[in-house]
Amino acid sequence: MTNREVYHDGVVKRLVQFSIIWAVLGMLVGVWLAAELIWPGLDFGQFWLSFGRLRPLHTNGIIFGFGVSALMATAFYSVQRTSNVPLYMPRLAWIVCYGWQVVVLTGGLSLLAGWTSSKEYAELEWPFDIAITIIWVCFAVVFFGTIATRRIQNIYVSNWFYGGLIIVIAMLHIVNNLAIPVSINKSYSIYAGAQDAIVQWWYGHNAVGFLLTGGFLGMLYYFLPKQANQPIWSYRLSVVSFWAFTYTYIWAGPHHLHYNSIPEWVQSLGMVMSLILLAPSWATMINGIMTVSKAWRKLTVDPALKFIVLALAFYGLATFEGPMMAIRSVNVVSHFTDWTIGHVHSGALGWNAMITYGTFYFMVPRMMGTELYSIRLANIHFWLALAGTMLYIISMWGAGVSQGLFWLSIDEIGELSYSFTDVMASMVPYYGLRLLGGLVFLTGTILMAYNLLRTMYGRNTVQVSPPEVLDEIRGTAHNPNAVMGVEPAAGKGGVPA
Amino acid sequence: MPGTVFQEIAEGDELAIHAIHRLTFLLIILPPVFAWVGSTVFGWRLGSADPMYFDTTGRIIISFFYAIALAFGYISTVLLASWMALTYGAKADLEAIGAMITVVVAPLSIASIAHLYPQVFINVLVMIPAVIWSMNLLYRGLPVVMHIPPERGMLMSSSIVAWLLVAFVSLLGISAGLWTYGIGPSVGV
Repeated sequence: MTNREVYHDGVVKRLVQFSIIWAVLGMLVGVWLAAELIWPGLDFGQFWLSFGRLRPLHTNGIIFGFGVSALMATAFYSVQRTSNVPLYMPRLAWIVCYGWQVVVLTGGLSLLAGWTSSKEYAELEWPFDIAITIIWVCFAVVFFGTIATRRIQNIYVSNWFYGGLIIVIAMLHIVNNLAIPVSINKSYSIYAGAQDAIVQWWYGHNAVGFLLTGGFLGMLYYFLPKQANQPIWSYRLSVVSFWAFTYTYIWAGPHHLHYNSIPEWVQSLGMVMSLILLAPSWATMINGIMTVSKAWRKLTVDPALKFIVLALAFYGLATFEGPMMAIRSVNVVSHFTDWTIGHVHSGALGWNAMITYGTFYFMVPRMMGTELYSIRLANIHFWLALAGTMLYIISMWGAGVSQGLFWLSIDEIGELSYSFTDVMASMVPYYGLRLLGGLVFLTGTILMAYNLLRTMYGRNTVQVSPPEVLDEIRGTAHNPNAVMGVEPAAGKGGVPA
Repeated sequence: MPGTVFQEIAEGDELAIHAIHRLTFLLIILPPVFAWVGSTVFGWRLGSADPMYFDTTGRIIISFFYAIALAFGYISTVLLASWMALTYGAKADLEAIGAMITVVVAPLSIASIAHLYPQVFINVLVMIPAVIWSMNLLYRGLPVVMHIPPERGMLMSSSIVAWLLVAFVSLLGISAGLWTYGIGPSVGV
């Protein structure tokens, strides 16, 4: 190793900036949509402002703009440090960074223009699908290339999750988007009928699983021990839960199709696998809580850690609620109601956004070699994020349970008691509360954007070289936590530097 | 004042702890009673739709299971907090923890007066500030009663909040399951 070798953090910084921009824009669209459900006239008669076009813009902007940019940033940041080498092919990493943003931007515009495959979370048409595949392969080359050139024998557990994310999302994306193009903006899926639905929800649920859960668990497993300055409570449990998670999640998709025209045994399989999934999910939560429980002294001075603690709590809630809603007798009430929207947002706001915010508050000041611009703003952001999430999910619980009862209600001659429009009209108060929750959450995100951009403003990233590694860490498989760059503690893992 | 009450519990003031324990039963029984009266007089109201009325047996079953669920929630939270105390280096006996949880849930139980008019949105509106107040009491009271620093108390309180959220969502799921099997409101399943 030469002294001139430095980690490539410039690309990480840029990806963080893009992620913040997409977070604000994506959530702004979400708030607009929440308002449209109360005041439909807010589309001003414009097709591109209609709910049908803005909704995929919101989900794609948040998942692929905010989420994936954050995952790429944190994957690049952590894989260098856990492998003790700079990024493999750094120029390709820059191509991944900018190429991804171009796809998200142009893809978003195409959704506004009405180009859509109509597959949820895979709405982008075939030219974008091909572009995504190319960029994703480049991402894989940089990530796995860095791991292949690592100077430490162990592959730290966060890299297993990031690696799982890259491989499985590639597989899902390619298989689900196989289609026959008929023009530049229209293609038809090669699957038909029930097969199309099964493949779509095999994709849809595992996009949630391996991107919004697995990818962000990679983030958790690197940044939580770093922030808490504690080894992972049980490294073995983290590895066991990774394999249990990977094996189980892939089967759970059919729970999105309960009572639909797919074989009942497929529905039952999806339900059972969803229930089993609770075990690895909660194993991870317990591992995280036990890790952070020893770091309580840092809570006074570290706003980032508060976000992580809260993220773990909502992770526990969402990963319990999901399997519960996959039970067919519960799903018959909850399906197609706003309960599902509340569940998704307890995960998206409470888990994904919170863990990302905590990570950004940790990572940005360190990368820039300075203090956070304002700890007070970060603390205000914490309470706004908590209040916004709670308002959101409570309002959706109320709305969802009401809708479930309304839609199943039949009169004495067996006809539906309420029309769809009656039910929607009675939802206005809940939607008002949801709009308020969304606005509060967005306000917090804007505060974070200001805080972090001020922290970064006018500064370059600090030049960090890979530290010298002790021979026993470089060559041993006995102390995986020591990959974090420090002396192992007695018994379990090691304390991160 | 809650601060003084928590201090008295922490100091093991038996008079105060026993006085609080006497309230526990009342606080558990209030919400089902309010729900029973509300569903009898006004019926369940979901938005603008006609109210739903249940027969006497149905109302008794729902209120009974509601009381059982609340009692289970109370006892399990006390036991869970006692178990978590090992992890967080906290010290408190079951009596003190029970008294603390009673104080914490008091706003929620009193706010359940909204059940007298079982319109879902009104109940949601009334319960939200009550939830915030109860959470505030938990975060303030737990470190005092359990004799741990506030930062460590914040972690332990968050763990309990996670448990309570899971317990609440379980209640929703169990309710939905029971409706499907014909207990509660009549649904066309």
